[in-house]
Amino acid sequence: MSGTKPDILWAPHQVDRFVVCDSELSLYHVESTVNSELKAGSLRLSEDSAATLLSINSDTPYMKCVAWYLSYDPECLLAVGQANGRVVLTSLGQDHNSKFRDLIGKEFVPKHARQCNTLAWNPLDSNWLAAGLDKHRADFSVLIWDICSKYTPDIIPMEKVRLSAGETETTLLVTKPLYELGQNDACLSLCWLPRDQKLLLAGMHRNLAIFDLRNTSQKMFVNTKAVQGVTVDPYFHDRVASFYEGQVAIWDLRKFEKPVLTLTEQPKPLTKVAWCPTRTGLLATLTRDSNIIRLYDMQHTPTPIGDETEPTIIERSVQPCDNYIASFAWHPTSQNRMIVVTPNRTMSDFTVFERISLAWSPITSLMWACGRHLYECTEEENDNSLEKDIATKMRLRALSRYGLDTEQVWRNHILAGNEDPQLKSLWYTLHYILFMKQYTEDMDQKSPGNKGSLVYAGIKSIVKSSLGMVENTRHNWSGLDKQTDIQNLNEERILALQLCGWIKKGTDVDVGPFLNSLVQEGEWERAAAVALFNLDIRRAIQILNEGASSEKGDLNLNVVAMALSGYTDEKNSLWREMCSTLRLQLNNPYLCVMFAFLTSEAGSYDGVLYENKVAVRDRVAFACKFLSDTQLNRYIEKLTNEMKEAGNLEGILLTGLTKDGVDLMESYVDRTGDVQTASYCMLQGSPLDVLKDERVQYWIENYRNLLDAWRFWHKRAEFDIHRSKLDPSSKPLAQVFVSCNFCGKSISYSCSTVPHQGRGFSQYGVSGSPTKSKVTSCPGCRKPLPRCALCLINMGTPVSSCPGGSKSDEKVDLSKDKKLAQFNNWFTWCHNCRHGGHAGHMLSWFRDHAECPVSACTCKCMQLDTTGNLVPAETVQP
Amino acid sequence: MFVARSIAADHKDLIHDVSFDFHGRRMATCSSDQSVKVWDKSESGDWHCTASWKTHSGSVWRVTWAHPEFGQVLASCSFDRTAAVWEEIVGESNDKLRGQSHWVKRTTLVDSRTSVTDVKFAPKHMGLMLATCSADGIVRIYEAPDVMNLSQWSLQHEISCKLSCSCISWNPSSSRAHSPMIAVGSDDSSPNAMAKVQIFEYNENTRKELTSSGGPTKFEIHIVAQFDNHNSQVWRVSWNITGTVLASSGDDGCVRLWKANYMDNWKCTGILKGNGSPVSGSAQQGNPSPSLGSNIPNLQSSLNGSSAGRKHS
Repeated sequence: MSGTKPDILWAPHQVDRFVVCDSELSLYHVESTVNSELKAGSLRLSEDSAATLLSINSDTPYMKCVAWYLSYDPECLLAVGQANGRVVLTSLGQDHNSKFRDLIGKEFVPKHARQCNTLAWNPLDSNWLAAGLDKHRADFSVLIWDICSKYTPDIIPMEKVRLSAGETETTLLVTKPLYELGQNDACLSLCWLPRDQKLLLAGMHRNLAIFDLRNTSQKMFVNTKAVQGVTVDPYFHDRVASFYEGQVAIWDLRKFEKPVLTLTEQPKPLTKVAWCPTRTGLLATLTRDSNIIRLYDMQHTPTPIGDETEPTIIERSVQPCDNYIASFAWHPTSQNRMIVVTPNRTMSDFTVFERISLAWSPITSLMWACGRHLYECTEEENDNSLEKDIATKMRLRALSRYGLDTEQVWRNHILAGNEDPQLKSLWYTLHYILFMKQYTEDMDQKSPGNKGSLVYAGIKSIVKSSLGMVENTRHNWSGLDKQTDIQNLNEERILALQLCGWIKKGTDVDVGPFLNSLVQEGEWERAAAVALFNLDIRRAIQILNEGASSEKGDLNLNVVAMALSGYTDEKNSLWREMCSTLRLQLNNPYLCVMFAFLTSEAGSYDGVLYENKVAVRDRVAFACKFLSDTQLNRYIEKLTNEMKEAGNLEGILLTGLTKDGVDLMESYVDRTGDVQTASYCMLQGSPLDVLKDERVQYWIENYRNLLDAWRFWHKRAEFDIHRSKLDPSSKPLAQVFVSCNFCGKSISYSCSTVPHQGRGFSQYGVSGSPTKSKVTSCPGCRKPLPRCALCLINMGTPVSSCPGGSKSDEKVDLSKDKKLAQFNNWFTWCHNCRHGGHAGHMLSWFRDHAECPVSACTCKCMQLDTTGNLVPAETVQP
Repeated sequence: MFVARSIAADHKDLIHDVSFDFHGRRMATCSSDQSVKVWDKSESGDWHCTASWKTHSGSVWRVTWAHPEFGQVLASCSFDRTAAVWEEIVGESNDKLRGQSHWVKRTTLVDSRTSVTDVKFAPKHMGLMLATCSADGIVRIYEAPDVMNLSQWSLQHEISCKLSCSCISWNPSSSRAHSPMIAVGSDDSSPNAMAKVQIFEYNENTRKELTSSGGPTKFEIHIVAQFDNHNSQVWRVSWNITGTVLASSGDDGCVRLWKANYMDNWKCTGILKGNGSPVSGSAQQGNPSPSLGSNIPNLQSSLNGSSAGRKHS
């Protein structure tokens, strides 16, 4: 040890202990702090571990290197190499009666004093200790000591030892090494080869040498500069790493001539290189003045033959702490665990994670692999703190038949969970559109016009189409002595108001029913605002009062009503002044716009029109009432573009189901991924030009694909049915044609269309229903159809009896059973062996059998299609 | 809140890839122990290993499922320079009784001279096609002209990427608006490497795959969000089925989930440690240490995204 730079070592056997050595040796004990507080005096190593100092040993000065005795010892026996070349055995234990008592303090002295560079215990013969020394003339630089030489503690009785302990140190000096190697050379690093007890790999001055102790005169060597830090891969005993300056060389001992590979050179010199003991092929390296440990993941088994094999190495770096790292040590048993020490002796304990590979399943559960372990992670079902992802939402909505309510279209937003105001607005818009369409169609029958298509086109087009100049007239406020300019409502504006939901169909322009429905739903503020916009301040006040007195209502509404009743038309009144400033502090946007409306100058209603929190439909209806044609056009245009950009579904009201609407929906889908709403919405829109749009087809295709992936096959089928109702062009073609063996004509033609023409068909079977078709022969050539493999009766006959079921289908009048009984009559056949029969018979056969019912046919018909054995997910889930 | 539970994988070495089938009912894993395991989900939601066999003579990097309309078909690729196609056989052995299914090798694709780093089936509307990429930078596209015969694959295209390839991904979109596309990622760490992600598009006229990266392209690419929270290299990312949640894993040993709010602001919605334990949030969030590897985008498999909902624009 250089004295300033600490090194760190894990105990080879007591896995919760490590030693830090700089000028002295300090033994630490690691504890987990997961379930306990940090104890006084202990040092935090990581979030969940801490170390306590057990003992300090400062007996051995001038430490250069330290090695931990490899076989089990409870007393932490360490060998310390010193600057003068001596190797001292020392201990950090407190027990003085251990069997290693005699070894402690023993010194192994080389002939000539020079620095001891490295120490290595033999992993097989635990008493052998190799020491590597600097060069001294022609002296040997690698000395192998037997720590038990001179005397063996097992034989010598304890009393005698105690006596001898009082003697001079000389008895503990050992000067005769077991082996002397590496004459006239310097040894920088050492490691024993696990292949054989007597093989020692040494990094000498200019070469790597393998010494064979069985024949010390011979050595195998290769000239290289990379002689420092030789270390053997614990998983592949022929793989060795060594380094020189910033470069690591990996050697294969089976072809020792040159390194099998060298790792990318690092700018600073390396200080330590170590293989991970718990995992194959992971090498950790550390450079001087760095806070990074670089890891090299050699992800393949080295092969002796593969000369041209490009090794796959993945380089990684970890940063355990912010300071420079002095040294590190792998934990001997814990997976990928490492402890590092900094020059000022702060330590940190951490684990190098394996690269985690991960995958989402279609039902939003995440699976990942970390090392050798697999983890599955699912979103907790009943957790409301986080908003669910759209994938989960779509799944739940599909189960609740979202989008399929074609009677009361607005109800679909309730099926979607009644939580999204945009969806609510969308489905109301669609509801009104469909409603109006129906109405205008009825009207059109009486008086032909072109408004039917206008309904789909949205308010933007409706407003644009209004050609006749609209004149404004002054209208009286009910209950007030005031007049305000209101646009005369032409047909287009009435239609727009109808789409906004303010007024019902027909020419009736009364908003009364709409107000009542709002009051019923508890939307008092909105109702009051709508009443006010229809110049009925008295009704507005009345509604607010109602709201305040109702159970869920807000008492403050009374205050608002009071403020409202103080309305004055005077320009410079205190009321006007206060209202225009204080209204901005109102939380409810509708209350806010009410005062904005009352305090606004005639003709400029920006406070209402650009209050984004107010529903688009109310703002648009307001605009239709109060803005002149040019103003209205400009406003609608602006709002439409805003909605399109934001992908706000409320904007469908403006765009309608036109190309503009598809543009808007596109930005909505880009934003949310909600192809479900997009598909259902665009299906509702009639005009085929919208449905033909490539994007719409793409959403539909993707939604169907989603349903398939979730195994919501029934839902997908329902969707297809729904789709073909609204878009007849999407009707799928027949999937199978059954033709007669003899004449080659389709047998289904007459089956489906003219069931009663089979005069010559046999009246086989017991069906009592005369309307049921019986086709046992080809309608073309009158040759019989194939026979069912089980009942051996020609197909086309009703199934006379189902094993396990009641005797006949006509007796059971439960509709479900009837449906199934119909299915029992169907033809089925195996696509592999072409044997088949009545579906019901086949099903019951394969309930108990794996092989085909036809003799000598070993086809496992039912198992061939693995998807066919999957159950649709809807039937499993609640 | 996300909760993780451990599954006894019983692989003898590192698991490199996890892959779900189309329905999410089956799963395949592959490992350095040279084997592939197939897992089936029971009604109760537990995973059972129904097959485990040695597939290659080297680490198996990736495993992937074909669409079920082609049968129960897997493809794997390995360090041993090959990719293989596997099919499950039913009813030919007694293994069914032990709950084990039988997988046979239908073909071995041996064209690569180096480790095959990724393998992916094309979207089903293209038929039975397979793309592989290898460490020497070549993307190969194979096709089985007869979907009933999985043992015949013809090499349709060979594209040289000039960079060591580490991952590959098909554009899942089946829209007719654009031709089939493949994105290839590289893990080349040299600083003067060119574009690390290259996108190739099939050109109907020349019947060749065209590159569209590096140089002027018809695609405009812009960064929607960027996260440095891993504070280290990011290894894998994966999109959920709708492309609305992103999961990422990094060298900090954490799995993070990302989700955009309605205004395209992406936020981390969950962190879990690689060993499944939750992360004590504050300590992680406040970590100011500078990010290390993150400025070297490592594309081990950053491309396995699939987005069902989004229109490609």
